[in-house]
Amino acid sequence: MKKQYAFFIDAERCIGCFTCAMACKNQYHQPEKVIWRQVYPLDEEIYPYTERAFYSLACNHCENPTCLNVCPVKAYYKREDGVVVHEQEKCIGCGNCIRSCPYGAPRYNPEVKKAEKCSFCWQRIDAGLKPQCVQSCPVEALQIVDLATFDKPGAVQYPPGFPKYPKLNPSVRFVLPRLPKIIGREDI
Amino acid sequence: MNNHKEENFMTTTNNAAEVQPGSCPLSRRNFVKGLLAAGLVANLPCGLLRPLQSEAGEIVYGGDYETFRNACPRNCYDTCSIKTFVKDGVVQFIEGATESTFTRGGLCVKGYGYTRRPYSPDRIKYPMVQEGRGSGNWKRVSWNEAMERIAKKILEIQDKDGSLLGMALSKYSGNFGITNYGVEGMMSSLGYTTRLTGTPCWPAGIDAQNFDMGDMWCNDPEDMVNARYVILWGGNAAWNSVHSVKYVYEAQRRGAKIVVIDPLLTQQAAKADEYWQIRTSTDGALALGMARHILDAKLYDRDWVMANSIGFEEFADYLRGNITVEWAAKESGIPAANIIALAEEFATAKPATIWLGYGLQRHVNGGATVRAIDALVAMTGNVGKIGGGARYGHLRTWGFNYHALLQKQPEGAKGVPGKAEVKGDFHFAGGDDAAALSYSDRSLNINKTAQVILDTDDPPIRMLWVACKNPFSQDFDRNKMIKAFEKLEMVVTVDQFFNETVAMSDIVLPVTTLFEEWTINASYWHYWLSINERAIQPMYEAKSDIQIAATLSNTMNELRPGSCTFPTEIDSREWMIKEFNQGIYDLFGISSWEDLKNGPAKAKMHPASWHDLKFGTPSGKYEFKSELAEQWGNKALPEYVAPRKQNNKYRLLTPHTKFGLHSQFVNLDWSEEFYPEPFVYIHPDMAAEKDIKDGDVVRIFNSIGEVTTTAKLSTVVPADAILMYEAWFKNNPYNVQNVVDDTSSDMGAYKTGQPGVAIHDQFADVAKV
Repeated sequence: MKKQYAFFIDAERCIGCFTCAMACKNQYHQPEKVIWRQVYPLDEEIYPYTERAFYSLACNHCENPTCLNVCPVKAYYKREDGVVVHEQEKCIGCGNCIRSCPYGAPRYNPEVKKAEKCSFCWQRIDAGLKPQCVQSCPVEALQIVDLATFDKPGAVQYPPGFPKYPKLNPSVRFVLPRLPKIIGREDI
Repeated sequence: MNNHKEENFMTTTNNAAEVQPGSCPLSRRNFVKGLLAAGLVANLPCGLLRPLQSEAGEIVYGGDYETFRNACPRNCYDTCSIKTFVKDGVVQFIEGATESTFTRGGLCVKGYGYTRRPYSPDRIKYPMVQEGRGSGNWKRVSWNEAMERIAKKILEIQDKDGSLLGMALSKYSGNFGITNYGVEGMMSSLGYTTRLTGTPCWPAGIDAQNFDMGDMWCNDPEDMVNARYVILWGGNAAWNSVHSVKYVYEAQRRGAKIVVIDPLLTQQAAKADEYWQIRTSTDGALALGMARHILDAKLYDRDWVMANSIGFEEFADYLRGNITVEWAAKESGIPAANIIALAEEFATAKPATIWLGYGLQRHVNGGATVRAIDALVAMTGNVGKIGGGARYGHLRTWGFNYHALLQKQPEGAKGVPGKAEVKGDFHFAGGDDAAALSYSDRSLNINKTAQVILDTDDPPIRMLWVACKNPFSQDFDRNKMIKAFEKLEMVVTVDQFFNETVAMSDIVLPVTTLFEEWTINASYWHYWLSINERAIQPMYEAKSDIQIAATLSNTMNELRPGSCTFPTEIDSREWMIKEFNQGIYDLFGISSWEDLKNGPAKAKMHPASWHDLKFGTPSGKYEFKSELAEQWGNKALPEYVAPRKQNNKYRLLTPHTKFGLHSQFVNLDWSEEFYPEPFVYIHPDMAAEKDIKDGDVVRIFNSIGEVTTTAKLSTVVPADAILMYEAWFKNNPYNVQNVVDDTSSDMGAYKTGQPGVAIHDQFADVAKV
């Protein structure tokens, strides 16, 4: 398989602390509501305790990215390492990518009237650094992996609550959260 | 990209290499220009109080940054070592210091928001005066005018009362920098004043551990990986010490069982092997029930107890005569069979450790609870062991000079007759000079700030100086606080944002953020030490606490020579250097403070507290029976103390949110992005009883006040409790202190000067609006 960087989200380790999301903002200073990485609490049908299990999600740097395919001005390109790059200076702000991405990764920046999205911190990668979100995670629940060599047992591509789009083939893998054994109170 | 670099990304333990000058040709957002322009505008009268418009597109990692060492100065276990990346005099982004094996290259959701803080449009930029407290009618004044108003008031008090006891200080942990103790120094340099002393944080547990072991001293958190059994009791590390969680995980990976005991199903509980939903404030009963079973089953460490403790036989007699597992089950709500199983597992796993959270002791029986849990750890021989310990906190790395703190009163100053030591958790250095033998400061309970302002006369508190603290957001019984402030003739608050206390002040002074001033930061949990460099010039007209003190001293001495002993001009960097001594250098294995420019240093301490089994108690041994405890009004043995009597329909719990620390962080626009509004969490059964649906606006009320907010139904909270997270939102009147009263906890006076406060022994009712 070709090299393809991916985010590995270990929801068993993830403590939903939002550190990754803020670390991203710390690096890129996105304007209000222009969120590249968000931490989503799982619905109670998936995990029964409110706001206690999460998926940290950004652009999935798909093998076959819709954003790239629908862009009329070729503002997107895919690097050899699989990272999907948006070149904002070419963007005309038509919104095609924003409407087409089923994962909601590209966001509209109203200040510059253009789209933008998670870059996988490719400039940091090229400088020998980890993506800011990955480096920030205090519990190593968010990692950068290469799908060409990734073989974590039990990891899945489409966990409950994460939309399934095999044609896009999102470059993301998950481990599901666990429940503790609960010793409840006898008096209530 | 070469393979070596690639491997860096793929490992889970290795962190970022040093930053290399960037290879990135992309244009950067015109952010820097925007900020520089804002700085120019700020120098004009009536500067901006609105968000900046950024005009350019994305900013990216560009390389070629100037780097500085900073440290998070908040009251937090983690006290993270920060690496700050600066370009064109502007903080571009920050990271955790990779040199610290504790921080390990990362910060937390709060910490990463610091990049925004100095440049927040909401920041207090200049000294300002409010015409009419709470009116919002603020007027910018010069530092000279602000200082003159303050100095004249101080002199007026001095002339009227013959002392400065009418001037009080409300300061705690808003900034734990060592040089920030210059605020206390400033007060001393003016005369004998009134101090709000003690701590709302952890005092009952401090006393408890001092009675048992002669000090509060925890194992290195990084040593938790060596434990074979970990109980996290009454603490939510996943929110309040995110960097400790990896050690819990590692212990688990190596085979340790992780048990969380908490009234709430916290984030940490969700990550445990077992979660025990205990009835609030009955933790002591559970610990003693376990102890009774360990005693009966002869699973205690007899050799350890014989060699290293006193009073064990009396403790055993107390357990046999007063405690049964069945009683503990009834009291705590935990089934007896589980108590027995946990007791046996804990007693036979070697080593086993308990992390005692601070929430555990914010109760009327909090100190007694900590003593009971300490006893459990000691009787199983786990004190003094690697991978063991009753982990609570420590101050072993705080042996600085306290140069900023220790200032002399002016000649002829008068105060409370006689020498009385002002205590506090971080007040290490008492004034031993001759003058201090004649007079003292007046010491009042910080946990009853509103009440003592109302009650104190002769002389009354006429003026309040607030620094590193937000009484309206953090002190208890807010409605009473409003009445108390009405009694004050002048309130001066030093802060960064227009918070609730600033709103009730007459004068506000803008204080520097961590990036704008020099200081030193140590942790009360891990063993690392960081310096905090000035990474950028102070924005607008902000000054640090010690620079404010120097500015005030200048004005005081102009108006009345000799009225203030604080130096009128200081070099903040020099003052940071003055805090170091050979003891600190030796402890951290550094030859000079300048070594810390290369990254944080870790104390050369044994990872196990009390490893030499030489305890600091009067007997030199672990004291199951403590006469000192008895002298301070508590039981000599770690006996059970009943919880506070319920005085309303439900329990009310108001712990921290993960997005903030007390009233800091949540107000920042970057934080609002992820945490825009507060909720009250109630169990579906309670909601059904009260006809409340998810999303309904509800009132939470009791005899002292009420809070209105949106309900979220959740089973993380038991059916008999209401859960609200403490926070200050800048556009929302939500304030949990409306419904939290100032009832004292059982311990704290011995080591911190005042008893703690029963923050989690609160009760309230709820109704749909």
